[in-house]
Amino acid sequence: MKKIHILGIIIIAVAIGAIFTTLNSTSTYASFTEAANDPGSEFHVVGKLNKEKEAVYNPKLDANVFTFYMLDNKGKECKVVLHKNKPQDFERSEQIVLIGKMQGEEFQASDILMKCPSKYNEGSPQETAQK
Amino acid sequence: MEYIGEHLGIGKIGNLFVILSFVFAMLASLSYFFAAKDKDDSASWKRIARIAFRIHGLAVIGIVSTLFIMLSNHYFEYEYVWHHSNREMPMRYILSCFWEGQEGSFLLWTFWHVVLGLILQRSAKHWEAPVMATVSLVQVFLASMLLGITIFDYHIGSNPFTVLLREHPDYSAIPLFSDPHYASNPNFDGRGLNPLLQNYWMTIHPPTLFLGFALTVVPFAYAIAGLWKKQFNEWLKPALPWTYAGVTVLGVGILMGGAWAYEALSFGGFWAWDPVENASLVPWLTLVGAAHLMLINRNKGQSLFTAFFLAILSFILILYSTYLTRSGILGETSVHSFPTAGLSGQLLMYLFCFLILGITLLVINWKHFPKTIEEEGIWSREFWMFVGAIVLLVSSFQIMFYTSMPVWNKLFDMHRAPQKDIIDFYNKWQLPFAFVVTLLIAVGQFFKYKNTDIKAFLKKISVSFIIAIILSVLLEYAVNFNDRYYSVLLFSSIFAAVANLDYMFRVLKGNVKKAGASIAHIGFALVLLGALVSTSKKDIISQNTSGKSIESLGEKFSNNDNILLTQGDTLQMGKYLVTYVGRRQEGINIYFDVDYFTENEAGKLNKEFSLAPLLQLNPRMGNVAEPDTRHFLTFDVYTHITYAELLNTKENKESKDEYAIAKDFTLKKGDTIFSSNAIIVFDSLSTYFDKAAYKIDPADIAVKAHFSVLDVKEKYQAAPVYVIHNNAIQSIPASVDPLGLKFNFWQINPEDGKIQISLQEKKSNVRDYIVMQAMIFPYINILWIGCIVMAIGTIIAIWERVKRGS
Repeated sequence: MKKIHILGIIIIAVAIGAIFTTLNSTSTYASFTEAANDPGSEFHVVGKLNKEKEAVYNPKLDANVFTFYMLDNKGKECKVVLHKNKPQDFERSEQIVLIGKMQGEEFQASDILMKCPSKYNEGSPQETAQK
Repeated sequence: MEYIGEHLGIGKIGNLFVILSFVFAMLASLSYFFAAKDKDDSASWKRIARIAFRIHGLAVIGIVSTLFIMLSNHYFEYEYVWHHSNREMPMRYILSCFWEGQEGSFLLWTFWHVVLGLILQRSAKHWEAPVMATVSLVQVFLASMLLGITIFDYHIGSNPFTVLLREHPDYSAIPLFSDPHYASNPNFDGRGLNPLLQNYWMTIHPPTLFLGFALTVVPFAYAIAGLWKKQFNEWLKPALPWTYAGVTVLGVGILMGGAWAYEALSFGGFWAWDPVENASLVPWLTLVGAAHLMLINRNKGQSLFTAFFLAILSFILILYSTYLTRSGILGETSVHSFPTAGLSGQLLMYLFCFLILGITLLVINWKHFPKTIEEEGIWSREFWMFVGAIVLLVSSFQIMFYTSMPVWNKLFDMHRAPQKDIIDFYNKWQLPFAFVVTLLIAVGQFFKYKNTDIKAFLKKISVSFIIAIILSVLLEYAVNFNDRYYSVLLFSSIFAAVANLDYMFRVLKGNVKKAGASIAHIGFALVLLGALVSTSKKDIISQNTSGKSIESLGEKFSNNDNILLTQGDTLQMGKYLVTYVGRRQEGINIYFDVDYFTENEAGKLNKEFSLAPLLQLNPRMGNVAEPDTRHFLTFDVYTHITYAELLNTKENKESKDEYAIAKDFTLKKGDTIFSSNAIIVFDSLSTYFDKAAYKIDPADIAVKAHFSVLDVKEKYQAAPVYVIHNNAIQSIPASVDPLGLKFNFWQINPEDGKIQISLQEKKSNVRDYIVMQAMIFPYINILWIGCIVMAIGTIIAIWERVKRGS
């Protein structure tokens, strides 16, 4: 067997490894119900902030805890404990992606991604003309 | 309606340039094609092609100038101008408006191709026609991105000169456009440039990066020309300096992006493995691979197919990157992704067209590639260079495959989410590749082409090896480096730097002209070393130790990185004592002044420096935090705001004397409560007191509650009174004016003797606070120095090659 073949085999092995880890990425997008059924695993949950209920951030007590209620895309509500600071502009978010796992009745999130509404992103010529 | 005061003429001129640039790119491409194909009429085709390309170039410059005039004169009637600029914007950022929008960035890219094309016309000699045929074809596609015409319901391109704001579907119905003189309305202003881009890095990073992108077209065009004209080896020599130039410029452009992220974005680092960062890194890696294989071929005539493959792949990957970042497929996974301009289909066509061209030519010529008769010896330089290039290819495959997750999700209808800690994931994957590559960089030049005397090799390399071991142990000790996994890379990158330095002085006798490769390799090793040390020894000094224990959730959740700092308070962070001084607003930026002190042995505080991280009240992106960093020779102190109450800023001044919302308390005798500035103890109740002094009817029931109020210096008394007058409850408040406190007494529970009171504080009592993060990046300067060294090395190599060539 030539060296080049050994090299080729190694390359193919590594490439398959790369494909495998990509497709077996530990996280999947899920709902609160699915997360609750598998409390040990990490999930990405997409949803909206429940603006009716109180979002609590008390940095004087703990700057790394922020709690709020979120409705997932299936409409299920769940209390969320985010172990981070309250993101700037949180109230304006249109869509939230949480990364974390279920523990009891609460979703413990280690990270959050937010999407802000496009209107707010865009501005309008009317506003600028009336400034 | 007739609109008056619009500047429609200039748009027509701009549009004319757009059409000209497209038509003449097409003409240039076709005539270069015939010039390369046709032996007989070659000269006359070439003459036409040259003129056509120059007219195309002039048209592109015309487009740029017209757009520039429109931007600097604030012709907001054009959607592009309105969208990307406004009146307040400083002139120096006008150029940034070009690369904020899709159209402008395609324009920038086209412009660089014109510049490169004009140089190729002068320098490519007999390669001019076949090479320029491809370059011009690329220009046809790029120019079509600006066309903005509709054929059979299919939109081609997006044209900044023909889209008027009042015709834009989102805005056409708004009342502003019922005024025929709207364009002359002095208040009519643009939306403005995204403030995030109003940063000096943003004026130099995009043009550099796009020049890097543009440069990849040259090796691609040469490779295509080589396959087409069946000159499988001859294209290498003229293409090599261009490939080096691409490596230099693209590399510097990528690191400039890192510098911008480090200075202006607040994710706490210079590299986040963001899809857009990856999309420019991957073509760089393959281009580096291509450059090395082309070099092997020049010297030994081996690995020809792989050289072709990588040169073509690098450009294809640039197109793929463009598709990823401009088609909107990345969605919200990236900070960089452009909003979609409906060019997705066109971008795919662009990509597939050149992909098919490349593959077809490679397949057709497959049988013509010289078959290697004798295998490369295992101790030959070319073998290890080949291995290195392949490692780069596999490394870029891993990055690209993972970055393309949104594409796989869409293609196979999956719902895979990216890893939680994406940075750690990529770092772990890429470490073995980086380790092998740095080892190869270290030993590569000590190998000889064909075969190496292994004893002499070991003797030569052992010096660097020993020095590198000593240096890495010292460095590990200095920065307290304890990660086993990463310490192998620490060693190998030091080894790479030392071995190349050794090679430069002992073998090349310090001849700088020949040492381009060595210098570039030293630079690359330093970049890796700086990245490794500054990232893995990043020290978050703003640790909040009082947080609740959440270890049951696992390591990822133990986030204590944010710390609360109240105005005037001082907290220990690492070796510093940090004070939050206060906030000030300048324009849309709110600066938070934070002072850093050190304590000397006598316990005296010395102010070391002040930082002013800011929050930008960015009307378009939301509020954006921008860090502030203090640079020292061996480390950086980085600070950014993660949370601050923003409502206070305006209200505070107007309403300091008002009382804030009352807080209710239920207390029994002896209970203690806290206000923001005092301790309050409920002492007793009394019913016998001079009711007349409170103007209470003697027949009414009245109870007085006594409170002791203690602040740091003094003790005050407060005694609100509870009155039942005609069956209605009243409270006579008591206040402690020096502390801004007000008490009301609302209820007594006769059964357990508990009382209910409310306490109000003046708004001025509530002290401002911030939640911030502070971190130290050690030895990050090694990274920036490495970048400069690498650029210098490659420039020397290009210079020498060009000089030798002519």
